[in-house]
Amino acid sequence: MQGSDQTTVRAVLAGDKNAYGALVRAHSATVFRVAFRITGNEADAEEIVQETFLRAYQRLEKFEQRSAFGTWIYRIAVNCALSRVSRPGIEAEYRHDDESDPEAKTVQVAAQDPNPERVLLGREFSAAQELAMQRLTATEKCAFVLRHLEERSMTEIAEVLNVAPNAAKQAVFRAVQKLRRELAPLRGNA
Amino acid sequence: MKHLSEEEQLDIYYEEGSEAAKAHLKACRECSTEYAKFKRSLDAIKPEAIPQRGPEYGDRVWQALRPQLIPYEKKTARWRGWSWWKTVTAAAVCVALLTAAFIGGRYWEHNKTNQPEVAGNAQPQQRVVVVVLTDHLDRTERLLVQLNHADPEDRAENAQLQSEARELLASNRLYRVSASNEGDPALAGALDRLERVLAEVANDPHLTAADLDRVRKDMNTNGILFEVRVLLARKPNQESGPTSAKGVSI
Repeated sequence: MQGSDQTTVRAVLAGDKNAYGALVRAHSATVFRVAFRITGNEADAEEIVQETFLRAYQRLEKFEQRSAFGTWIYRIAVNCALSRVSRPGIEAEYRHDDESDPEAKTVQVAAQDPNPERVLLGREFSAAQELAMQRLTATEKCAFVLRHLEERSMTEIAEVLNVAPNAAKQAVFRAVQKLRRELAPLRGNA
Repeated sequence: MKHLSEEEQLDIYYEEGSEAAKAHLKACRECSTEYAKFKRSLDAIKPEAIPQRGPEYGDRVWQALRPQLIPYEKKTARWRGWSWWKTVTAAAVCVALLTAAFIGGRYWEHNKTNQPEVAGNAQPQQRVVVVVLTDHLDRTERLLVQLNHADPEDRAENAQLQSEARELLASNRLYRVSASNEGDPALAGALDRLERVLAEVANDPHLTAADLDRVRKDMNTNGILFEVRVLLARKPNQESGPTSAKGVSI
């Protein structure tokens, strides 16, 4: 895949605009996934996918052919998502949403266990988790999502966030501390 | 015994813990109980379900994106390579010329001051005059080289050129008048042509790229530079022969 990506990038830079379509098709699902995990919002994630591929196209000349296109576009996507959740207006919007019914924000997941009480408790935990995630700072949330959910290494996280590895590690640690504290009351039930 | 901190537990959880911390976790019952709780709390944080996107999603993104993209031009790579080489070569030539002029001037000046006085103190005043004039011609040479290779867009460099030209202009007038009085038409002529260039550069309130270019072409700065170099080469020879020496009284 990497070799064909490099060939496609060269074709795009040589003037074949339509070749870029292959890169968009190959990587849009990954970009959507990480954007959704960071923003927690489907519409925002869709916009971030568009913004990411547009930015990548505009900077394609700066793309170093040594690295993989997938890694490069992933970094751009994380940065776009991070800018989105760091915007004061957007943050306020998220905070406002916090006050609404948490159950309404819960994603409907097919229950493994038919026990209605457990299903209810599971939903309650998911809603609390989402709320706790929204209370993290943009950097903490991003670092935690990348480490815990996307299983990226600390070095990668530091590079994506453009901070020192120790700072990235501290961001993950602070996020873990906050989440554990917020979710402690529910832990026995979930 | 020092128990594991929360940070160390986190390292172990993400499989980045040190060997010492892992060994301690195995040996210490208290820490392993704490770690079990820690692990349970983090295991409970699971990813949200990602809204499903069908196989046509990539196509949909591409169709929305496509009209916004402007195709790249094919010639970009070659043009960039040429430009890079041109810039590097021009910079190297400038540096080499400036270095040669500077070292040459310093070396010549050094030789002059260290040479034994064959004529004793017969013409000490004239020797000082020659050194001073040589210094003036050295500075002028450097200015002309800078002028020939100046970046028209670099305002800071242009301002520096103007400031240097103003300083040289005043002394150049004195040397020219003295050379005329002493009956040295070659030197007086060269200094006269030089003065016009210096006046042009020094007195232009807004020195633009076009002005620099005009000065270079109209006033033949390359020719004047050559004359200055000839004069610089002539001065040491004159100084060695006291009878033929020609200086300028200031």
